[in-house]
Amino acid sequence: MTQIGAQPAAVADAAAQVSAARPRPRTRTRFHRREAVAGYLFISPWIVGFLVFTAGAMISSLVISFSHYNLATNVARPAGLSNYQGLLQDPRVATALGNTLFYALLAVPAEIVFALFLASLLNGVGRGAGVFRTLFYLPKMTPAVAAAAIFFLLLNGNSGAINQGLRVFGIEGPQWLVDPTWIKPSIVLMQLWAVSGTMVIFLAALKNVPRELYEVASLDGAGPVRRFVSITLPMISSAMFFNVIVLTIAAFQVFDSAYLLFWRDQSNASPEASLFYAVYLFQQAFRQFNFGFAAAMAWLLFVIIMIVTFVQMRFGNRLVYYESDR
Amino acid sequence: MRRTRRATVAVLPVVALVLAACSSGGGDQGGAASADFTGTPSGTMNGWAFDNADDVGTARMDHAAGQLDGVTVKLDQTAFDAQKFTTRLAGGDVPDVVQMDRRYVTTYAAQGLILPLDECFTAHDVDPDTRWYPFVVDDVRYQDKVWAVPQFYQPPAILLNKRVMDAAGVTDEQIDTSKPDVLVGALTAMYKESGGVPTTLGFDPVATGQAGLWVLAMGGRLTDDAGKPTLDDPANTAGLDLLKKIADAQGGFAKVKSFTDAFDTFGDANQFVTDQVGAQVDAQWYPNVLSPYLDKVQLGAVPFKDKDGKPFTVTSGQAFVIPQGAKNPAAACAWALELTTLDAWKAAAEARSATLQKDGGLNTGLFTGSPEADKAIRDQYVVPTGNAGFDQVISTYYDVLGYGKTFGSSPAGQDIESELNNAVTATLLGDKSATEALADAQTAAQRAYDNVTAGS
Repeated sequence: MTQIGAQPAAVADAAAQVSAARPRPRTRTRFHRREAVAGYLFISPWIVGFLVFTAGAMISSLVISFSHYNLATNVARPAGLSNYQGLLQDPRVATALGNTLFYALLAVPAEIVFALFLASLLNGVGRGAGVFRTLFYLPKMTPAVAAAAIFFLLLNGNSGAINQGLRVFGIEGPQWLVDPTWIKPSIVLMQLWAVSGTMVIFLAALKNVPRELYEVASLDGAGPVRRFVSITLPMISSAMFFNVIVLTIAAFQVFDSAYLLFWRDQSNASPEASLFYAVYLFQQAFRQFNFGFAAAMAWLLFVIIMIVTFVQMRFGNRLVYYESDR
Repeated sequence: MRRTRRATVAVLPVVALVLAACSSGGGDQGGAASADFTGTPSGTMNGWAFDNADDVGTARMDHAAGQLDGVTVKLDQTAFDAQKFTTRLAGGDVPDVVQMDRRYVTTYAAQGLILPLDECFTAHDVDPDTRWYPFVVDDVRYQDKVWAVPQFYQPPAILLNKRVMDAAGVTDEQIDTSKPDVLVGALTAMYKESGGVPTTLGFDPVATGQAGLWVLAMGGRLTDDAGKPTLDDPANTAGLDLLKKIADAQGGFAKVKSFTDAFDTFGDANQFVTDQVGAQVDAQWYPNVLSPYLDKVQLGAVPFKDKDGKPFTVTSGQAFVIPQGAKNPAAACAWALELTTLDAWKAAAEARSATLQKDGGLNTGLFTGSPEADKAIRDQYVVPTGNAGFDQVISTYYDVLGYGKTFGSSPAGQDIESELNNAVTATLLGDKSATEALADAQTAAQRAYDNVTAGS
């Protein structure tokens, strides 16, 4: 058994040779500079991409948010703060924001619980684990349009499979896609379909929990619930924290599921309950050509996400167990 | 080193801003504001959104290409997308001609993103109100200018399932939208449910898909002459109130909507084969879908009627527009017009006839948007099918062609349609009265109208 801290002789010799061949400080500085330049060159495609397509676009949208931009003439007239004042005056901004917040409060916990449940199931599978992982991940690969078409049928209030299933238990299911009260829960259900990205992160975290901890806890008489609460949850808390932050950001930006189910086809009803912030932003930009207002909406969303993420980082971090902190 | 790093961090946003500024608005906007449509069409013409061209579309494009020897036509066959159209124009990647739904046209006209085509029509000696039905042209007329070359006009009427009607003792005359009490009595006689869920609707009014038809037919109006929304016009409530009566008599809107959403509209188990409807509002294309199932259905049709008992229908269809900044507007104008000549439609009808002879099927005619072409095609190609009911269906759709009305051309047309549908839904669900729902819809539509017209 190798003793920790005992350096094999060969390693010690190699270290001595490296030490003898160590360059003088000036040579070393030049080497480090060349290395840094090479590093920057390697990441330069990303830097250029970031500058043009992310930072450039963000700054451009910030400029547009303070202007009235006319696409036909390509002229942006200064607008001062009027677009931002408009955010307060347009009641649909508040409606869209309220819908989005409500959705986030529903969706994030539901996705966390469901993803953790699936990951726990997969973690317990021995033979055929790869097959199950692939099967569970497949929904993530399904195009959003196809998923929307499937859920349009699944969520049908009369004949959909979900309500048919509820009827087996004597429950008369709601009119998911027609009754405004049930529209946001129906979109949450649709989001759960593609929760496998979150599930994979949980699965990796579960795989990293040392088996010995469970063995010791079992010897001490801890049941499955106690083991889950006292061992699993703390040990995967960093993955949980990451998933909560990422899912919260995604929830604030929810667009495609609501748009595909309710807004793409104008001959169908588009109830206010499905008016999410990103949907209204899209409408303002590409249907009403209100680009300045849409840009102001985008920046308001950016600020809200930053604040929420900051609060999560500030207070959520205390609840997270990092193994490296031991 | 640290100072250099700080300087780099400070400079990065500036560089980004410069790059962003440079990348915006590369287009040569406004250059074609005084587009010349009079020259001999020549050079390369780039078209966009010519996706899924069928035999009718291909025959017309071949015909147009044959008429314009000096023009090389390049077509992008991806579907029209509003966001892509906007970004293409902003980026200077401007196609010469674009095919789009007519309901988009006035929005882009109000933004100055497409060219008025009056000079195009003059240059080619075309009178729009003669070549097309005047109410079809009204779809793309805004501020006394015509902004697109329209094509197609497939009017809605009421398709009847005679098997369901006969079983309930309902006659064609009872399916009369101008007599609400008679209509509701008839649909109630045909309606069936099981466990509180509809199994047969007496009448599917297609409340959200055809909301404009109901409002206009019952004496309402969606816009004024300038295109401003008028959803809170007191006359608009009649259409919504009638729709509510129809929905309430069949289990309520939520159940009706969920029932119709589950129809296998294009499949073997469609709502007429399976007797899920006694009658339904359908556009002219739907009998084509049903034609392979004539041995399994018994069809008839009656016109949709306005509140005074006269036949009534509404227009919809597609159009060709020439964007602002198009590099070859003369060729685009000539090509779009060539696609809608009588000869082009005759070529299309011939191609359709050949397709039907080869693949089987019945010829229900082409509804082109042009009265001359419609008549010529009906006279030459629409012959008795051997199924009297289906012949009566085809005849009914031809008969209502002259009773069309536009929804109204408005810069906020898409929002007006959406808001009207929301008002219909809120009313039919019982969340609001028709007056309240339409008032809310008007507020939202007016805000959209103000936004769209703010820069014009």
